[in-house]
Formats: sequence, C-alpha cells, structure tokens
Amino acid sequence: MNVSRTERIVNQLILVVFALFAVVPLLGVLLSSVTPASQNSGGFAIPDAVDFGNYGAAWSRGNFSSYLLSSVLVTAAVVILSVVLATFAGFAFARFDFRGSSVLFYLLLIGLTLPTEAFIIPLYFNLRTIGLTDTYWALILPQTAQSLAFAVFWMRNQFRGFPGEIIEAARLDGCSDLRLLWRVVVPPSLAPMMTMAVVITMWTWNEFLLPLVMVVSDSRRTAPLGLALFQGQHLTDYSLLAAAGVMVALPIAVLFFALQKRFINGMVGGISSR
Amino acid sequence: MAAIRFEKAQHWYPNAPSAAVAGMDLDIADGEFMVLVGPSGCGKSTTLRMLAGLEELTAGSIYLGDRDISTTAPKDRDIAMVFQNYALYPHMTVGGNMEFCLKNAGMSRDERKRRVAAAAETLGLTEYLDRKPKALSGGQRQRVAMGRAIVRNPQVFCMDEPLSNLDAKMRVQTRTDVAKLQRDLGVTTVYVTHDQTEAMTMGDRVGVMKDGVLQQVGAPMELYDRPANVFVAGFIGSPAMKFFDADVHDGSVTVGGHSMALAPFGGHDGPVVVGLRPEGWRLTAPGDGIAVTVGVVETLGADAYLYGTARVDGGDADVIARIGNRERVGTGDTVHVTADGPAIHLFDRATGERLS
Repeated sequence: MNVSRTERIVNQLILVVFALFAVVPLLGVLLSSVTPASQNSGGFAIPDAVDFGNYGAAWSRGNFSSYLLSSVLVTAAVVILSVVLATFAGFAFARFDFRGSSVLFYLLLIGLTLPTEAFIIPLYFNLRTIGLTDTYWALILPQTAQSLAFAVFWMRNQFRGFPGEIIEAARLDGCSDLRLLWRVVVPPSLAPMMTMAVVITMWTWNEFLLPLVMVVSDSRRTAPLGLALFQGQHLTDYSLLAAAGVMVALPIAVLFFALQKRFINGMVGGISSR
Repeated sequence: MAAIRFEKAQHWYPNAPSAAVAGMDLDIADGEFMVLVGPSGCGKSTTLRMLAGLEELTAGSIYLGDRDISTTAPKDRDIAMVFQNYALYPHMTVGGNMEFCLKNAGMSRDERKRRVAAAAETLGLTEYLDRKPKALSGGQRQRVAMGRAIVRNPQVFCMDEPLSNLDAKMRVQTRTDVAKLQRDLGVTTVYVTHDQTEAMTMGDRVGVMKDGVLQQVGAPMELYDRPANVFVAGFIGSPAMKFFDADVHDGSVTVGGHSMALAPFGGHDGPVVVGLRPEGWRLTAPGDGIAVTVGVVETLGADAYLYGTARVDGGDADVIARIGNRERVGTGDTVHVTADGPAIHLFDRATGERLS
C-alpha cells in the first residue's frame, strides 16, 4: 500500500502527541526523583542539581527492602503456580473430551469479569476462619485464583492452535499424556507462556486492594501498599515520593523491557509450528 | 511384521450425514505395499487413521496378525506413521526426533544411538542429526519423518500423503526411494495418496476409494486393464479415460454413428457406456472412423496427445487420443479415429459397473 507523504507526516505527528502524553508525566516523576528536596515544588521542572540521595533516603525511611522482598515472594509464587496449573488445565480443556468441560470452562471465564471489590469482604472472613489472614498465603492463593481465569483461557487457546499432527505423532511414538504435555507441547509454546507470565507478574506486582485488606503486619506488606503508606507520611516531600514510586515501578519496567521481544512474539506469533 | 485385516470397519464422524468409511473389508498381506487412492473426502485418510488408532471404529474391527486391535491404544499397536506435514517435533534435533519414540520405550542409550545412526545412514541424514527441522529442506524433513518411523522397527507403516508437500522433481525421486526402502525393510505398508501416478508406481496392490466405499482392489495393471466401474476407469490412468454413450448390437458398438467390432464379445445388447483410453484410439482414413475436431495437440517427445471433440448423440464429447509424435495435426483440423475390440471398455449405463 502506498502512503502519501502528507499522510505519513500526519500519522507521525499523531503518534508523537500520544507518545508525549505517555512519556511526559513519567519523565516528570523521574526528574522529580533526582531534584534536591529543597527545590522541589511538585510541578514539572528541570532541576539545577541532580541528587540521587533521594533514593537512599526513601529506601531506608520507607522500609522498602522489606516491602519489595514481600512483593517478589508473592509475585513469584503466584506466577509459578498460575503457569503450572494453567498449563495442565489449558491442555485438558483444549485437547481432552471430558464431561462438563465446556460448563467448567465458562464458569472459569466468569472469573475474568469479577472485580476484587465484589468478593473481598466475604473472602476476608473465609480466610480468617481458616487462620490465613495476615500470611503470604492470603495474598498468594486469591491472586493465583484470579490469574487462573485469564491464564487458563490463554493456554487453552494456545494449545488449541497447536498442530494436531504433532500430538498424534507423539501418541504413536508411545508418549504418555504427561510426557506429551511437558516434552512435546510445552517447549514450542514457551513464547506465549512467557507473555502470560509477564502479564500475571504485572497484575500481581501492582495489586493493591488485596494486600491492603489481608495483611496487617508491616513485614508482609507489598511494595504498592508500602508506597501508599509512605505517601501518607511524606505528603509534601515530592522528591522522596517520586524516588519511592520509581523504585516500586522499576522491577516491572525492567522485566518488561528485558522480555519485550518475546512478549510481542508471544502475543502475535503464538506457537511456532515447525 | 504382520498382515492386516479390515472387517466391516466403519467410521462415522459425529453429525455427518453419511459414514466416512462404510463397512470396509480388506486383507493386506504381510510385507505388502498397499496404496489407498481416491479423491479428497473419499475416506482413505480416515481408513489409515483407524488403522493407526487415531480414529475410533464406530463398527467392525481391524486385525493385526491374529490380534484384534480395534480398541487398542495407538501407542500399543506397534504402528508407525508418516504424516503429510511430517509432524516433526520443532524443538528437537533430527536425532532427537528419531530417538524420541525409543526413549519413550525406555531403550538404553547405546541401543538408541545405534538405531538412530543406522536409520540416518540409510536415509542419508547422518550429517544433519544435530540440526533442527526448521533448518532442513522439505525433502530432508520428509526423510526425517521416514527415519522416525523406521527406527522403531514397527509391524506396520502408515503413510498419509507423505510426498504431497514436495516439489514435482523431488516427489518423483522420493517416490522410488520410499518404494525401495519398503521393499528392503519388508514392513507391511499402507500408503494413502490422491495421486494415481503414485498409486500405480508404488503399490503392490492399489485400492481405489470413493464416498467411503472401496471400489476395487488389485494390482496396478489389473485396475488399468479391467477397471470394475466407470469411477475406477476414469480415476486410474493419465490422461484419463473418456466415456461415450453408445449402443451395442450384434457384437459391435456404435459411437457417434461409427461402428466398432467388440472382441471379446460378452453378449450384451442395448445402451451402454463406452470407455476408451488415449492409447486405445488410432488414426484412420476419413469415412472409416469418428470425426474429431482437434482442440490441442500436446507433444511430449515420444508421444503426442490429441485433445478434441466429437459429435456423439447430438452433443459434443471430449476425446483424448495418443498419436505418433510425427503426425502433422494442428488445432482446428478434423481427424478420424477408431478403436479395436480389446481396447474398448463397456459399462452399464445405469450402474456404471463393468460389463465385458
């Protein structure tokens, strides 16, 4: 298709405007985080001096080492559990004919539409009854369940697209179901699985409401929750707030950039068939 | 190795209006190369998949030797399959692909290596053992798929159009390779194709299928010389046999006003369908044959084929005739052709079954 010069320029302009919308506030926070506290008025401004000390101050005063550790623990557990369970369930939904499979699948899909606010209060009482509130399990188990709705849906679609002949060839080669899944089907499906893992990581890392309700002990608070508390205590110290915000957001940004290529491959490419 | 027997084997896909394979009876001898051929949707692939255990039988049974394998799991049938798209494991090397079934069977590492090396040697894949399928050409992938089947040393090979993704030249080459390999190994083979040339050149016997029903089974030349019905007659042979409505009376058959003596004469009388292969026709003098208006002449070198039309019963009928490569015939000319008794095939006009 031929695109005229004018059209191309207009396209570029529109993209630049939208990119600015996305980038300017981010840049503002980054600049703010290195502005010396005394100069910082909270608006967008280029600082005279660069002060990385804000990060150190925010780190020690906000107890972020503990919060980030909690976040890493919870996120890793949720991602691993979700990926393993969704791989099993997705394969079963995609490739086995069992009674009630479609009913079960649509029931799972309802999970995609439920906002946390809808069930958090009853969930709190349920978890309190079995003594799980204020533990990591109160964060890991509900978030795994929430992620599974999407993850099972995603894996089922991936496995449905997997070339049936390869599965048949493996069966004729004497493969058991379990071996078929992990040795034949999963290795070529790693790109979409990686994409799914990144999405779940972002969701879990950024989850705020669940940790707010479920944990009380400071040592089990996750990073976004810690950030909110920190904001409450340092309402006007914009440099510290910005530095803390960057620290909480950074791990996900780094992860995304590191896996960006695979992430996009997994979104558009699906399974590489040969 | 073992013989295969289909007994009233049937497969009916859910919600389909008719059976994909309707009550098939077929005996395949130990070590035989059996080709199933037919147009798409005729049930040939389904038959093969039933044998391999990838489709369940809705009725009837299949025997491997004396063993009824109708309900046996695919992995316990000792049958290897070569797929149309090869179905190689994309993340494994060539060696890994060939070795996988042996690993599943719990074979020792040394024995696995020995078998893979032997198969790779046979197929000329030794230098590619460490490559991934992605880095191979179509012909090489096809050979890996063959290799994966032969390392297992199975009782039966099932091949589902294994050559159809190759280019024309490669296909001819591989055709002979596969046929030779099968003869060397002596493994009972069922080979499915839609290409009648493959069927004719490769099979010990050929089964022609249509609409889920086996039309005729026999040696290639048997099908060619004595097709059981109009469908088999038209399907086997290239260029194809052409058919004309005609009448038989007193031992001769009249096509388009021209009468030809039948020999041998089966004693039929009345309306029939006459089938004639290109080599059945010969050019003759004007007034002594059917007038054919020449459409196109294809010169192949040794032979030439004349494609034309004749007036038969007030309509135009296609005629394909083989003529000498030195005949001076061009588009728009009118030539006269006739045929001799043994070249004329007679079929029932209502049922399409062979008469003579």
